[in-house]
Amino acid sequence: MLVVALGVGFGLSWYALSDGRLFGASQYGPWVTWTRAGAPEPDPYTRAFITRNAALQLGQAEGLTLVATTDSDGRRLDRACRYRVDGRTPTSTFWTLIPVDDHDGSVARPDGPPGFHSSRIARSNDGSMQLYFSKTLSPLNWIELTGDGPFSLVLTLYDTVIFSGVGASETATLPSIIRESC
Amino acid sequence: MVRTLLYLLGGLLLGLVIHLVVILILPRISENAAYTQVASIEALNRTTLLALPKAGEANPLHLDPDMSYGLCKLDLSAGPGEVTGTLPLAFWSVAVYDSTGTVLYSTTNRDGIGQTLDLGIFDPAQTRLLAEQKIDISPGLLIVEARTDEVFVVVRLAPPHPSVRDRYEAQLERLACRNIAI
Repeated sequence: MLVVALGVGFGLSWYALSDGRLFGASQYGPWVTWTRAGAPEPDPYTRAFITRNAALQLGQAEGLTLVATTDSDGRRLDRACRYRVDGRTPTSTFWTLIPVDDHDGSVARPDGPPGFHSSRIARSNDGSMQLYFSKTLSPLNWIELTGDGPFSLVLTLYDTVIFSGVGASETATLPSIIRESC
Repeated sequence: MVRTLLYLLGGLLLGLVIHLVVILILPRISENAAYTQVASIEALNRTTLLALPKAGEANPLHLDPDMSYGLCKLDLSAGPGEVTGTLPLAFWSVAVYDSTGTVLYSTTNRDGIGQTLDLGIFDPAQTRLLAEQKIDISPGLLIVEARTDEVFVVVRLAPPHPSVRDRYEAQLERLACRNIAI
């Protein structure tokens, strides 16, 4: 009984604060966010997540951070592959998209930009974007990855209206992450 | 058989209790929260720039490498706090955190406050004195009520181009962060 209790108790807690989708986190395609992380009165799960994450959370008025650890087909992001982030982003003053490792350090080439910035990318005529992450040369907007192993993409929307009441249509505009080759 | 099922059920229920206890006490016992991490940074009553991690380095506070960060810590037991100054003509935002890393208040310069930041932080007792007009404050001061005496403020500034980062950060560092004499 004790083994079951400890397994359920700590296992459920670990799941709640890492994946968290059944508790405080929301998922939109490959993007996961804790929508209450910047609130003055977070729920107990979000409060525990804030503690465990130990990050300087963005306040609700400042923006929102979304993290993708998988591509749109649910496969873990791997630096051996080439990925295309394709589509649009929800309305925001600007956004950044950074590839990071398990310690949240950028895995982009050290002497280049750490990631994409919305004001410094080339877009299609219809306003959509194609952003590439890979170790090998890629067309259009490209961030060169370094190192090996899994990575995550951190999309930070500053001054966004993603959850300001027009949520359904805004979250639908999050871009896809497409694995092109490995 | 029945006894085994009862043991399993008991284990499950005890596990749920353990889970709830872990979620509720984690924010109180964690030694790795954001506040613990900023505790080692010399920023009491002054604004200190946070060093951005280089590519490949760990990034425990999850800082966005495209942003500049000014941190100031305040102890409200010495009096209400204020963060005041003029910031460059670029996007910036400010967040007030309590000792659990929860964002108490946040805003951006898109909310009509222009380039001037004038923020006052009061604990509950000081807020009462403020309501009774026993504390003189400058008109236009943004008033934030904090639940705890130990708070920290993070100002995020988005330099429009890497070439102006140093100049913008110098201005960010000049923000006054102090206790108000009452």
